[in-house]
Amino acid sequence: MVSFEQLAHLSWLVPAFPLAGALVNAALRRKLGANGSGALATLLVAASFVVSALLFWSHRPEEHPVEVVTLFDWIHVGGMSIPFAFQIDALSLTMMLIVTGVGMLIHLYSIGYMHDDPRVASFFAMLNLFTFAMLLLVMGANYLITFIGWEGVGLCSYLLIGFWYTNPAYNYAARKAFVMNRIGDVGVVLALALLFHLFGTLDYTAVLGRAGGFGVGNPLIVGATLLLFVGAMGKSAQIPLFTWLPDAMAGPTPVSALIHAATMVTAGIFLVVRSSVLFELAPFTKDVILAIGTATALLAASIGLFQNDIKKVLAYSTVSQLGYMFAALGLGAYSAGMFHVTTHAFFKALLFLGAGSVIHALGGEQDIRKMGGLKGVTKITYITFLIGTLAIAGIFPFSGFFSKDGILANAYAHSPVVYALLLFGALLTAFYMFRLLFLVFHGRYRGDRRPHESPAVITIPLIVLAVLSLGGGLLNLPHVFGGHEPMKHYLATAADGVAGEHLHLEAATEWILMGLSTVLVLLTAWYAYGRFAKRTTLDGEPADMPFLKRLIAEKWRIDELYATLFEKPYGWLSTTLFTFGENKVMTPLMNGVGNVTLRAGKVVRRLQTGNASFYLFAMVAGIIVFLLLTLYGV
Amino acid sequence: MELLVLLLIPFLSATLLAVVRPTLAARGIALVSSLATLAVALWLWYRYRGEPVMAVDLDWVPAWGLRFVLGYDGTGLLMVILTAVLFPFIIAAGFKQNLKHPSLVNALLLYAQSFMLGVFTAQNAFLFYIFYELSLLPVFFLLLYWGGERRRAITVRFFIYTLLGGLALLFGIAYCVVQEPTHSADFSALAALHLPLDTQIWLFWALFLAFAIKLPIFPFHSWQPDTYTMAPLQGTMVLGGVMLKMGLYGTLKFVFPIVPEGTAHWREWVIWLSLIGAIYAAVIAFRQRDLKRLVAYSSLSHVGLLTAGLFAWNAYGVSGSLYQAFAHAVLVVSLFYIVGAMKDRVGSSEIAAMGGLKLRTPRLAALFLLVVLNAVALPLTQSFVGEWLMFNGLWQLNGWMAFAAVTTIVLGAIYMFYAYQRVMLGPDKWQLEVHDADGGDHLFLVPLIAVTLVLGLYPAPILDLVNGPVQQMLSTFTVLR
Repeated sequence: MVSFEQLAHLSWLVPAFPLAGALVNAALRRKLGANGSGALATLLVAASFVVSALLFWSHRPEEHPVEVVTLFDWIHVGGMSIPFAFQIDALSLTMMLIVTGVGMLIHLYSIGYMHDDPRVASFFAMLNLFTFAMLLLVMGANYLITFIGWEGVGLCSYLLIGFWYTNPAYNYAARKAFVMNRIGDVGVVLALALLFHLFGTLDYTAVLGRAGGFGVGNPLIVGATLLLFVGAMGKSAQIPLFTWLPDAMAGPTPVSALIHAATMVTAGIFLVVRSSVLFELAPFTKDVILAIGTATALLAASIGLFQNDIKKVLAYSTVSQLGYMFAALGLGAYSAGMFHVTTHAFFKALLFLGAGSVIHALGGEQDIRKMGGLKGVTKITYITFLIGTLAIAGIFPFSGFFSKDGILANAYAHSPVVYALLLFGALLTAFYMFRLLFLVFHGRYRGDRRPHESPAVITIPLIVLAVLSLGGGLLNLPHVFGGHEPMKHYLATAADGVAGEHLHLEAATEWILMGLSTVLVLLTAWYAYGRFAKRTTLDGEPADMPFLKRLIAEKWRIDELYATLFEKPYGWLSTTLFTFGENKVMTPLMNGVGNVTLRAGKVVRRLQTGNASFYLFAMVAGIIVFLLLTLYGV
Repeated sequence: MELLVLLLIPFLSATLLAVVRPTLAARGIALVSSLATLAVALWLWYRYRGEPVMAVDLDWVPAWGLRFVLGYDGTGLLMVILTAVLFPFIIAAGFKQNLKHPSLVNALLLYAQSFMLGVFTAQNAFLFYIFYELSLLPVFFLLLYWGGERRRAITVRFFIYTLLGGLALLFGIAYCVVQEPTHSADFSALAALHLPLDTQIWLFWALFLAFAIKLPIFPFHSWQPDTYTMAPLQGTMVLGGVMLKMGLYGTLKFVFPIVPEGTAHWREWVIWLSLIGAIYAAVIAFRQRDLKRLVAYSSLSHVGLLTAGLFAWNAYGVSGSLYQAFAHAVLVVSLFYIVGAMKDRVGSSEIAAMGGLKLRTPRLAALFLLVVLNAVALPLTQSFVGEWLMFNGLWQLNGWMAFAAVTTIVLGAIYMFYAYQRVMLGPDKWQLEVHDADGGDHLFLVPLIAVTLVLGLYPAPILDLVNGPVQQMLSTFTVLR
């Protein structure tokens, strides 16, 4: 039996496999064929999953919680030494299993979904490259390695949103995603520079180990955590940097499932949990995170109520669920946040892939007003989508019930107001998800195409994810159900923030909270059933709606607000600086200086003849005159 | 001895080309010459042991302190390597340009290379100055006779600017030599001058103005966009890839050692000017209609960052700036090559004449994208290492400076990806019959991209080169700490 340490020294294989896949697929994109490139990409991610699983099984967190594997010195200047190194511990292993496990299923699914696309090999190259970058992000042993992955996933997201590049709207969405992420990255870079300034290193073990030397509320630590959170806002689509994520649905549906639901967008949560020691020293930052997380959860859920594009509903739902995860982090309930990251990866990947299966079945249709009654035709898709809906709505015993309940219980312990807001958000979630389910699968078919069930390569990932969405709650089964919160105890060996968590609620209180939310969610589902399951007339365009409903359906007009406040003024500034600043001020000003000098030399007329040899003569003469003057004249 | 060979190979090849004028073989001869120079430069790198090297030491005009002293330390060697690496590419870019009189064009390019290598190896201030001004001449003729629209007016403006800076520099050097007890103009002697603070405060600008214009930094930049846009492709590559590094190197060799207190006095001003310029140029680049001018503004923006990093005057800032000098040289040459490749295909560098070209030129689009990644300093490219170090250098000085510098990662992404989209993506607007990247394009761009990625993943060879000299310089001028 190989030991954990020995295996850990092979951990570089985990990102190396998908990187190799990306390179091979890019190099041989014309030779492999659609199935060949898909199979290669999928198998390599599967290989990463196997290595990750072996690492997980050999990992004995009580005896040997952390293993840092250094490959080589990356940046070494003066007092700065940043190694290219991986950190294998409970947190990175959890994320590695999610990324490679869910990633493998989505790669498999893509073989079916992307089969007829002429650029399928490029697609798999990018998907593999994304997996590589995401693995660097979670495996890095210092902030800068994580940042390689952090920017790398941003690039892959850009490439895949704009995958169908002849469509200008998709290209715009891709750029928007990259630029908004980069705005967040300003925060990350500054946070990293500040942390380096404070600690003289960026290694997680050293920074987090020494952070205790700073007192609670130290302004520099508060500043660093706020800056890190700005980055998390961008990557994980929180207010005010969330508008790129719904637009990111322009990419192929497997991309939405993998990058824009299950993995990349949880990078912000990962970063905060990884740095939980710092955040525990910054109560102010935690309050900010709680406020922004809660506000995002509600705002995005409200927009989800009236969307008619199946992927847009899921996109706003993702933004909203990410808000829940941040709310958990703001409450100091890091393990609850990570638990929700995990279950959300299962059920949201399932829902997106299910949506993809529906879109596939309808030959590209995404408008739910033109769907309906599909449960008879696409049985497997329907049943798995139903499981996903039950899970996200938080109905016992599906995984979402446990993870959302964990967040709500922590919210209640913190403040009943936060609890009430998040519970309200959960009801909105239940409403829009059941609305979606009923409009797509129940009632009568309202479209004009011939729906068909998807092939096995698409339905098998759905079934696996459905099983995980159903049973995922066992990963962190709470005490009241006779569990021991295994995930929390596991993560506590890697993140001191988790180890310091404490939630004191009477068992009776917990039962009451769970009962209350279950009853309310079921009532909401029943209400949605009544409104949508047999509905034949549907909402029209937002323009015909009453004011408030229209405002919400138009996404609170935040995109328009940003366009007016930032995009247009920036374009104006760019044009004006050029036409006025450069051409009317800078150039004439400097020409003036030049002309004055020339006149003083009284050679202006001859110079304007453009006689090159004269200039040279003038210059050499000038050199000599100056030399003589300065040497002998002074 | 090798150093003299290094300078003489391009000089003699250029003279041969100018005299014999072998029109057909001119480009080939020039390419072989530049490759031979590269081989010598790599040999010097291989032999370099971390200690400053003094290679040639001859008296020339002792009365003026002018001596022919050549040598290098890690920073000079970096500049030599940079020049030697880029010139084969710059020469090769001419194979597709078909300019008139290829013998003369290549002779001018090689003269420029020889003189710039002189600048980077001169150890005497007057000698430096002579090489510095001499290197201008070939470029000047290149612009004047092979440039594009309005070449006379623009060349004259460029020339006047540079002349102004050069005269100030000459005056500064002369002043220092007069102050020096033995009237020596050797760098070692001038660095030992301890001029009074009042003198240093004005002398700083006499010495720095030339470099501020050459780089250029805001607000001395208004010659740059026009000149880069109008110049023939190879001229632009020389100006942006190598020549502006003379400004950086000159600042490091001249300004810091001779007027350390003057530098300390003006340092924050220069950093803020540079950062304002970096942001200003990045904003302007966004809406540019001409791809070449857009790249010119992007270079201006990057140079602002380079200068700010240099003036941060700590290990991270200076090393980062020097590292970035190499990255920027590779970047600028790649970007301008792509501009040229697009212009060859669509007949204009106007962006409006492009769009949707990825459908027809997928390989060229992929190469362009890889260059763009370096331009926006994505981690694991060369530029990221340099920028990360400079951000840290500025942070050690002032958090707001770091903030201003870091905003360029957003602005850079805005204009670069917008440019890429306008050129390559979208529907096939013009239905042009254009060919994809051919063997020549790959031979040019792939090695440069490879350099970018290798040094992004493993920057040690370059960082180790500059680390020693930078540490040593910093320990000498504690006044700036």
